[in-house]
Amino acid sequence: MSWALKVEGLGRVYGEEGPRSLTGTGPEHGTSVSPVTGAVVAAWDVGFEVEPGEALGVVGESGSGKSTVMRCVAGDERPSRGSAYLRAYDDGATDVLALDDGARRRLRVDRVAVVYQDPAAGLDLDTSAGGNIAERLTAAGARNFGRIRDRAAELLELTEVPLSRMDDPVRTFSGGMRQRVQIAKALANRPPVLLLDEPTTGLDASVAAGVLDLLRNLLERLGVAAVVVSHDFGVIEMLTRRVMVMQHGRVVETGLTDQLLEDPQHPYSQRLVAAARG
Amino acid sequence: MNVLEIRGLVKSFTLHTIDGRTVGALHGVDLDVAAGEHVALAGSSGAGKSSLLRCVYRTYVPTSGRVLLRTSSGAVVDLAALPDAQVADLRGRELGYVSQFLRAEPRRAVLDVVARAGVARGMDPDAARDAAAGALRRLGIDERLWAMHTTVLSGGQKQRVNLAAGTISPPRLLLLDEPVSALDPVNREAVLSMIADLTGAGVAVLSVFHDLDAIERLATRVVVLEGGRVAAEGAPGAVLRDSRLNLEVAR
Repeated sequence: MSWALKVEGLGRVYGEEGPRSLTGTGPEHGTSVSPVTGAVVAAWDVGFEVEPGEALGVVGESGSGKSTVMRCVAGDERPSRGSAYLRAYDDGATDVLALDDGARRRLRVDRVAVVYQDPAAGLDLDTSAGGNIAERLTAAGARNFGRIRDRAAELLELTEVPLSRMDDPVRTFSGGMRQRVQIAKALANRPPVLLLDEPTTGLDASVAAGVLDLLRNLLERLGVAAVVVSHDFGVIEMLTRRVMVMQHGRVVETGLTDQLLEDPQHPYSQRLVAAARG
Repeated sequence: MNVLEIRGLVKSFTLHTIDGRTVGALHGVDLDVAAGEHVALAGSSGAGKSSLLRCVYRTYVPTSGRVLLRTSSGAVVDLAALPDAQVADLRGRELGYVSQFLRAEPRRAVLDVVARAGVARGMDPDAARDAAAGALRRLGIDERLWAMHTTVLSGGQKQRVNLAAGTISPPRLLLLDEPVSALDPVNREAVLSMIADLTGAGVAVLSVFHDLDAIERLATRVVVLEGGRVAAEGAPGAVLRDSRLNLEVAR
């Protein structure tokens, strides 16, 4: 099957961006900080494809560059180099990373949605659950009040948020419930690509399990292409079928998720899996 | 025409977290399985039987050699070198794997686990639920358990749920790793007869059984592995007679 999202040669350097900054960085040097320029090579030469109905995991420790990749693809940050293509935008013929800021923001309305670890990053906490979703719907051109409310209710039902809470400010919601509202908002305009950045990190174990079950069911049913960034192998194992391991800004291994867990190839992957499995 | 042709398969593990040493599991295995054929792998523990199945399913990355699968469309692909996404697409419909352990998905009902496997292979959701119910019934899983989470099941129940999920829509090549190890005689019988029916329906089966009686009953051919190499091969009766003593002594 053909990809819904394709990323090629993505790089993000904080500081001097020239080749001098790359020397001496990466897994074989044990650092992403350039010994020459002091620049941080947060991500370099990262590429992947995701098919509709498939979830790709991105794992690595803090500072491995996994969230940087996510933010660059989402448009929260401008990469130093690289390109990204969406099947749903110009049939994949245009590098969306090269679009101007306005065009990039519009992609976030209905082509690429993001669910952040912190619900406050994806929601206005002082607005109601229904209002947060309505904002995303009106951004896509919805104008009919009744239809907007119906769709918001439908999305809250989909994400198992009690409809009686629809008009309450999100600030009054528990952490798990806020995350469900964020997911409902992300799905509002049926985006073909969904980016999940540590979607259950920071929640209590039982609450995290509920959100994880919800995401699993949604990914199975909706046929979206998803990228799941997480340091938690339990999350990766449950949601993804393929995985990419990052260390010091570089991809050190890609594989099937069960293969990575049973037969990791790279020394760093073996260390990560051994640490997670105990 | 063979469904599976393995040529010169080598698998070794490099243990970076210990001292970087390399441990060999398979040292150049050649093996064929045709449609409607059941090839059983025999040999003592550590001979490489499970490693071979895992290399075919790509849970293990083959170190070298070829694992050629002729898919139902007639195309021949090398599973040892195929891109991950394509292997993932082949799993299920073309390539089934049933291990002795159910990787129990947390918080998911028994019937859902099996029906979902059918949906993943392109079955209509209602048809998948019906087929799942039929398979669970045939394998003797009490209907009262169907709505429960798989984590509460016994080892033998998990094993049967696993088999029901792995065979709900029969794959072209079925890999079986000890599918009856935890079963009582009645349930063991139900599982063995189901496997025999699959072979009869044209599925190519590559299996590992510790149980020599099961091999004798189901296999059309036996391949004996020793130290990661093929040591003997032939009709079950003859091979098992020759190696039965060795195998049982080794155990």
